[in-house]
Amino acid sequence: MNRVVVIGGGMVGARFAQDLVARADAAGATVDLTVLGAEEYEPYNRVLLSEVVAGKVDVAAIALPGPDDARVAVRRGTEVIAIDRDARQVVTGEGTYPYDVVVLATGAAARIPQTPGLTDRPGGLPGGAHALRTLDDAREIVAASVNARHAVVVGAGVLGLEAACGLARRGVAVSIVHPGASLMDRQLDTAAGRVVERSLTGLGVRTWTHVRTEHVRVGRDGRVAGLSLRVPDAGASPARDGDGSPDRTHERIVDVDADLLVLACGTVPEAGLARTAGLTVDRGVVVGADLASPDDPRVYAIGDCAQPPEGGSGLVAQGWDQSRRLAESLAARAAAAGAAGQEPAVDDVEHDHPHVRFGEPDRPSMALRLAMSVVTRPVTDLSAPGAPLAAPGADSSSSGTSSASREALGSPRADRSSGTDVVRVKAAGLEIVTMGVCGTRRASDPAHRTVALSDPVSGRHVEVVVADGLLVGATCVGAPDVGADLTATYTRRTPVPADPAHLLLQPVAQAPAPASTPTHMPDRTTVCTCNGVTKGDIVACWHDDGARSVDDVARATRATTGCGGCKDVVCGLVDWLGKADPEQRTDDRSAVSGATGMPTAV
Amino acid sequence: MAPPPQAQSHCPYCALQCGMSLTPLPDGRSSLPVEVAPRDFPTNKGGLCQKGWTSATLLSAPDRLTTPLLRGEGGELRPATWDEALDVVVAGVTRIQEAHGRDAVAVFGGGGLTNEKAYALGKFARTVLRTANIDYNGRFCMASAAAASNRAFGMDRGLPFPLADLGGADAILLLGSNVAETMPPSVQHLAGARSRGGLVVVDPRRSATVGLTGDAEVRAGVPTGAGPVGDQGVHLQPVPGTDLVVLLALLHVVVTEGLVDEEYVAARTTGFDDVRRSVAAWWPERAETVCGVPAERLRHVARLLAAASPSRGGAGAYLLTGRGVEQSSQGTATVTATINLALALGLPGRAGSGYGAITGQGNGQGGREHGQKADQLPGYRKIDDPAARAHVAAVWGVDPDTIPGPGMPAVKLLRSLGDTGSAARPRGLFVHGSNVVVSAPNADRVVAGLRALDLLVVCDVVPSETALLADVVLPVTQWAEEEGTMTSLEGRVIRRRRAVAAPGEVRSELWILAELARRLGSDVAFPTDAAVVFDELARASAGGVADYSGLSHARLDADEAAGGPGLFWPVPAPAPAPDELSARGERTDSRGADTSHPGTPRPFLDRFATVDGRARTIAVDHVGPSDDVRPDAPIYLVTGRVLQHYQSGAQTHRVSELERIVPDAFVELHPVLGVRLGIDEGERVRLTSRRGHVEAVARWSDRIRPDTVFMPFHWSGAGSVNRVTTDATDPVSGMPEFKVCAVDVRPVGSEEDVSAPGEPQGSRSADSSMEVSV
Repeated sequence: MNRVVVIGGGMVGARFAQDLVARADAAGATVDLTVLGAEEYEPYNRVLLSEVVAGKVDVAAIALPGPDDARVAVRRGTEVIAIDRDARQVVTGEGTYPYDVVVLATGAAARIPQTPGLTDRPGGLPGGAHALRTLDDAREIVAASVNARHAVVVGAGVLGLEAACGLARRGVAVSIVHPGASLMDRQLDTAAGRVVERSLTGLGVRTWTHVRTEHVRVGRDGRVAGLSLRVPDAGASPARDGDGSPDRTHERIVDVDADLLVLACGTVPEAGLARTAGLTVDRGVVVGADLASPDDPRVYAIGDCAQPPEGGSGLVAQGWDQSRRLAESLAARAAAAGAAGQEPAVDDVEHDHPHVRFGEPDRPSMALRLAMSVVTRPVTDLSAPGAPLAAPGADSSSSGTSSASREALGSPRADRSSGTDVVRVKAAGLEIVTMGVCGTRRASDPAHRTVALSDPVSGRHVEVVVADGLLVGATCVGAPDVGADLTATYTRRTPVPADPAHLLLQPVAQAPAPASTPTHMPDRTTVCTCNGVTKGDIVACWHDDGARSVDDVARATRATTGCGGCKDVVCGLVDWLGKADPEQRTDDRSAVSGATGMPTAV
Repeated sequence: MAPPPQAQSHCPYCALQCGMSLTPLPDGRSSLPVEVAPRDFPTNKGGLCQKGWTSATLLSAPDRLTTPLLRGEGGELRPATWDEALDVVVAGVTRIQEAHGRDAVAVFGGGGLTNEKAYALGKFARTVLRTANIDYNGRFCMASAAAASNRAFGMDRGLPFPLADLGGADAILLLGSNVAETMPPSVQHLAGARSRGGLVVVDPRRSATVGLTGDAEVRAGVPTGAGPVGDQGVHLQPVPGTDLVVLLALLHVVVTEGLVDEEYVAARTTGFDDVRRSVAAWWPERAETVCGVPAERLRHVARLLAAASPSRGGAGAYLLTGRGVEQSSQGTATVTATINLALALGLPGRAGSGYGAITGQGNGQGGREHGQKADQLPGYRKIDDPAARAHVAAVWGVDPDTIPGPGMPAVKLLRSLGDTGSAARPRGLFVHGSNVVVSAPNADRVVAGLRALDLLVVCDVVPSETALLADVVLPVTQWAEEEGTMTSLEGRVIRRRRAVAAPGEVRSELWILAELARRLGSDVAFPTDAAVVFDELARASAGGVADYSGLSHARLDADEAAGGPGLFWPVPAPAPAPDELSARGERTDSRGADTSHPGTPRPFLDRFATVDGRARTIAVDHVGPSDDVRPDAPIYLVTGRVLQHYQSGAQTHRVSELERIVPDAFVELHPVLGVRLGIDEGERVRLTSRRGHVEAVARWSDRIRPDTVFMPFHWSGAGSVNRVTTDATDPVSGMPEFKVCAVDVRPVGSEEDVSAPGEPQGSRSADSSMEVSV
């Protein structure tokens, strides 16, 4: 049970290797782990590629911790040819790797839509056309952006928006073309999408929705020159038929120039190996709640290549969560097998120490600690009706089956899974976060109460969906503080306010208006916090003790004698008292001169 | 000996150790024995908070203990003579140790004890009781910062720079520290950074310290996504227990935006490449989904700190941690992340910049250096280091092999008391300068443990909640009644001086320990003169990390009288004799003995105290609170202090001026939460955790997150919040997670009513707090 071969050394594969080693240590089990990675690179944070395009993040800074353990053999640049399930070995060009368990973490590839001019050319994509999936893609786009005059991004999902904003930030004129009815329509409903559209316009990004790319124009130099788009007729553009799709009878062709074309049209799980090995493959490698293939209990799939019962979300949080869960269960089994007759150690770890800690010598790998950090929340009573699983090629790479129903998962921590469907766009100038029940594709549920605030002019749109006193979904555009609070409420299942409308704004009452004059300041107002001195105390020492200067007040009340921060206010009060009580005023103006800390009565 | 006419001493409370003059008042002129006046001292610059101003009241507390007390036949505490009381202690200790072994008697010390007392207590435990089990309440406050600093820098001095250095910085990041309430005069040192818009406070509450960042508004020059910020700084208001995520995201931004001081990192640190990779996974948007702080605000703060850093032309930046982030099951990791960020920006070991932990208790710094920690010997030496044992044994005049090994850290020690199934559990306990019934986490369990003891001996000034459970209570001197030294939050060694005679039969702990040693048949010397004890402490510390060997009471007095800059440890004794130095042409001093080390205000300027002189960076990651919110406990509880009270309140509850302002415990909660739960302002509210429940009055405030309630920890009984806090501990430091746990919140009287939160009660003022900005 202890020879584990991981196919794929990316964000999830490398993470899993670390998770498994650490979990095996904790469980007292031994594992023999091999990671086969097709890319030559060390693992890097793919999520940040759009930040690289935007010039916000340095390429060198996106490297992730790799498995740095003697028990892990990492073979980079190793293409796997086949999984020989009968012989239980993974076949590569360099040789075979026998396994007890094989874990597919092959990820997904960018989906390239079949388009004349784009996919019908010998030698692949024309010059200037790029997907945005790998480090090389990002590098090439950055290089191309230097001389690009007009970039077109195809696909207005999360990645498309991020890429478009990033290119705009580099000073390139950018258009987004999107087949859907509105931007980011996997997560956003039409109203929210329109708000985002306005914001993009403000950032200098032109948007086209309801658009089909007829063909990509390629110049004689073999480089992209532009696109021909089929767009709704301008005069008829608002008209749509019942299901929101455009009325195709009023369309026209528009030609758009472009010398840089970025394809953000979603992803296709890399499931070829599994398919050839005779395993069930739908959109991705079909796995059960235990992440094992129903056809072979020795084969698992995690990350973007997998299709678990709740559907693949394309979000790394889901892959990291799967990595943690699979590592836990494999380590427990290895431990049980290694110490037959003994109670599996991993159970003790789970129940006695829900947060496993290790002393410095056996510090868990970075990956384990990262994996444990994924925000989790119980889902046992969360049965939001699922949005349809993403059809092949349906949408952008980061789109998610946001509210897919979940069943109890097969790991010991099944009740703590998920919370991994928060979608947070990273694009300077766009503040978008969605979670749970959101967008137009959700099924209606009578138990759901939806409250929304729409403020398109200021670029703000907030919608919350509440059921049974809990936040089950939210859409937040243009309100970062609110979005951050909503995420915290959602992931932790914090009970929502009696009136959910309170969720739509920062629930902070206005600070009491500063007293415009000491006259209006209540007597109980604390003036000197350090010494607990109120306005009333200061007035009293003026009248009762004859205090006439700040020093007098300090002696009588100790106001100003702590941090001194209230000196201006005390000066103002002394000044005000002096004006209100002129006969008793002393000549000692110096004590109150410069008393500008507060406006005095006029 | 008559006390001097006026004693130049320091405040009895926190680690700021504000300078004060104590003038004895003739009998009859006042109800108080001394008059307190502030002094111009570098930490307080002539200021005192209300606690300091009213501290003289402590000396004449109406229930001041003036004789030993013994538990009588009927279970009541009755006055006794010293002979009677010490006989009971000696008989009890002997009986327990004969039956159950030496480790069956344990010692619990405190961070408020003078250096001399802390030293003597550790020596007593190791040489007379010869028990491994001694630890102290500093485990509750400083252990995580200490562990992280030792790991990174090879030395733990809370602030490795004088506090006044803060004044020149462009930016100061305060994590989990509410200095405006806990040490008010210190905020004078924040003025410079505030004037440059550079005070950044990380706190789930909009605390008084957050108020120093100014009114939050949307401001020009700040990215819109960063939200409103103050004119004097920025508030980051994370979900409780996620400060570490804030730090990881800040470092992510520093790394990815190329703001690392690469030259410094290459020259002065090790291990940074691992750290660099580890934060690649914490991009601000991901961090936002965990910590609830908007991504752009995190970016804004990271850039602000970088701009203040010397490598980018700033005047300097300081990153400071307090208990809010350290009292956590990931406290050591959080401090480590702070240090990593500081190192990435090139701050530690540079004049005008740095990382520091803001020590809390009066002698929280010195208290952790002189051997009352379970794993330490004087001089901040490790008890399992043979060379350290040999050195200290020689000073003590004992065989190194008789010194016990490491004992149980505080929480484990207290937990073990009630473990009646264990034969190895301690049966006797000495408590000095600590009120564990109120100040330890999971307090009900602590009380049960204390009740299970065969012998509980408590040395205290007043009948604290812990003293009231004791078999023997010994009355001891306090602050203005004794001589000694303290080590302040900045590592400055200062003198505590006697202003008045102690009342009644009150004795110093130095005397008590000497008497007990003698009566227990030990021939180890226990001097009772604090100056003599200090000299011994200095010798014991020689060559250690916290080296005091170049100090004496006389030198400290002379330096102060001469208006010197103060003395910061390490202050080693000059190793070679003066004539040797002069023979080598080095600095000599005609005054002979004054060829002294000048002290070390800024210890890391040339090198860190690690073997290779470089700071170690260590990758850490977020795990989250040990007791996280869940359906039956959906609200976070955070705890902290109010200005008017100190720790368990054993002192401040006896000062009527303080007690009048904040007489009772309270639960601060957001009006939105109050309305949802049907809890009105002023109504009694009950918090229930896995460990117990606590009740107090509700105070509505919009300064707290709606998913969080706050409660101060200064009370015993029904309002004692530590009855619900968790005793889960940090795996490295053993420090308990006081600062966050999950609770159920509901109005008192509705325990059966589980389903129907009250309807909104109509309109009301959202903020009922007393502080109104003017």
